[in-house]
Amino acid sequence: MAQSRKDIVAWVGSHVLPHEAAVRAWLRRWTSRDQDIDDVIQEAYCRLAAMDDVTHVSNGRAYLFQTTRNIVLEQVRRSKIVRIDNVTDMGSLSILDEAPPLDRVVAGARELQRVEQLIEKLPLRCRQIFVLRRIHGVSQREIAQMLGITQAAVEKQATRGLRLIMKGLERDDKLETSEGESGDYPRERTRDR
Amino acid sequence: MTTRESAREIADQAAEWATRIDSGSIDRATDFGLRRWLDEDPRRQGALLRAEAALSFVDRGRALAGVIPKPEPRPVWVRRKLMFAGAALAASLIGVAILVTAPNRYDTALGEIRRVPLSDGSMIAINSQSAVEVSMHRNAREVALTRGEAWFKVAHDKTRPFIVSAGRIRVRAVGTAFSVRRHDDGADVQVTEGLVETWTVGEEERRIQVAAGSKAYVAAYEPPKIVQASADVERSLAWREGQIVLEGETLDEAVAQFNRYNARKLVISDPGLAAEKLVGQFSATDPQTFAGAVATTLGAKVEEEGDTIRLSRRSPQ
Repeated sequence: MAQSRKDIVAWVGSHVLPHEAAVRAWLRRWTSRDQDIDDVIQEAYCRLAAMDDVTHVSNGRAYLFQTTRNIVLEQVRRSKIVRIDNVTDMGSLSILDEAPPLDRVVAGARELQRVEQLIEKLPLRCRQIFVLRRIHGVSQREIAQMLGITQAAVEKQATRGLRLIMKGLERDDKLETSEGESGDYPRERTRDR
Repeated sequence: MTTRESAREIADQAAEWATRIDSGSIDRATDFGLRRWLDEDPRRQGALLRAEAALSFVDRGRALAGVIPKPEPRPVWVRRKLMFAGAALAASLIGVAILVTAPNRYDTALGEIRRVPLSDGSMIAINSQSAVEVSMHRNAREVALTRGEAWFKVAHDKTRPFIVSAGRIRVRAVGTAFSVRRHDDGADVQVTEGLVETWTVGEEERRIQVAAGSKAYVAAYEPPKIVQASADVERSLAWREGQIVLEGETLDEAVAQFNRYNARKLVISDPGLAAEKLVGQFSATDPQTFAGAVATTLGAKVEEEGDTIRLSRRSPQ
């Protein structure tokens, strides 16, 4: 039986999206073009959107890694992306072992912190509205009344907040730091050939 | 079509649609504008899913924080309250983060080796001048090594992974025994039984497995690597029994080990003596006996003054 759209969205939000930053960091080892990475990631979500049941996917993180790898390999075969440095490496590299990711509590605490940080970074007005709407569950109409602005203005700020959150989810500050210091390994290996 | 829209542009549009669906401005199933937007480019389905998932991700923050949405009808808000909404959110999130992990903390003083049995049947031996924080959850067992060294004998429980964190470093066990020792820039992971996995935060895909009898050094900013696979592991964990086992270490190194446990410090006043190599097993908290053995085997002189035990070469007869 097909899952409801709501369940799939929730699953993607909790099991796939949190790992997008790691996948992007990983993709950056093969291409430095952000647009190429954006395209690959977008295609991965398209494939998810085409599924009407995700219950058979046990590990969202592994799934996202696997799917993006397949997409890159397919695109390389069709020569859509030319700036991939080394394809064979990507095909043969084991990207993730069988072990499940961090347990829920540890991951949960980390995600909570990440949500907090993402919201903190929003511009003031945008943050107020975002917090009222998402955290306190106040309706758009009521927010408009409280702030004495139009609903359209509230919606505009909410959209802006979501865009910034989505951009923030592409990066993980902790990942970026470690990438900067140790991210050169795969490239070094490539040059040896 | 003139130019191909970038993924970024589509994502921005998707954020707008997701917000409108979420606010109830439009109905996802029937809205004609949305349907047309989706049909125009197959990539948009994925973008919309991602945008809605992002909202769901943020909402999980609310669920985790236990902040319950205001029930209807909501009280009348005064505008002033809004100023504090952000602060209140931060406070509520922080409060919950503490509640979730409220740990038991164990510290050891100089020379103290503490054994802490845990509620799940696991055991921690905490070395001298170390600190651990234990948080037991229904589906996880977490230990933070905030300082020093500890050895873990983990009771088997597949449903509750046992995870030790040492700064950025993580070590995960199912049913096994291992030790973690913190250094400024990383940690040593030594395994005495079974198998553990270790990795650095943010580098989860580069995790490695460390088997019984092996030692790995995990740097905070590099992939972990096995540095030693030998019987040395058991020996370097002799501290659990309050023992120091020497197998060819120099006197200098041996003294450093003893001084890790005792307020009575051993001091070597002769550099030539410091380089002498020793074999033997000693009680970690009995530097006097050790000094006596050094006197016998190396022909050294032992002088005790206050909290210092001085070792020097016996002056030639």
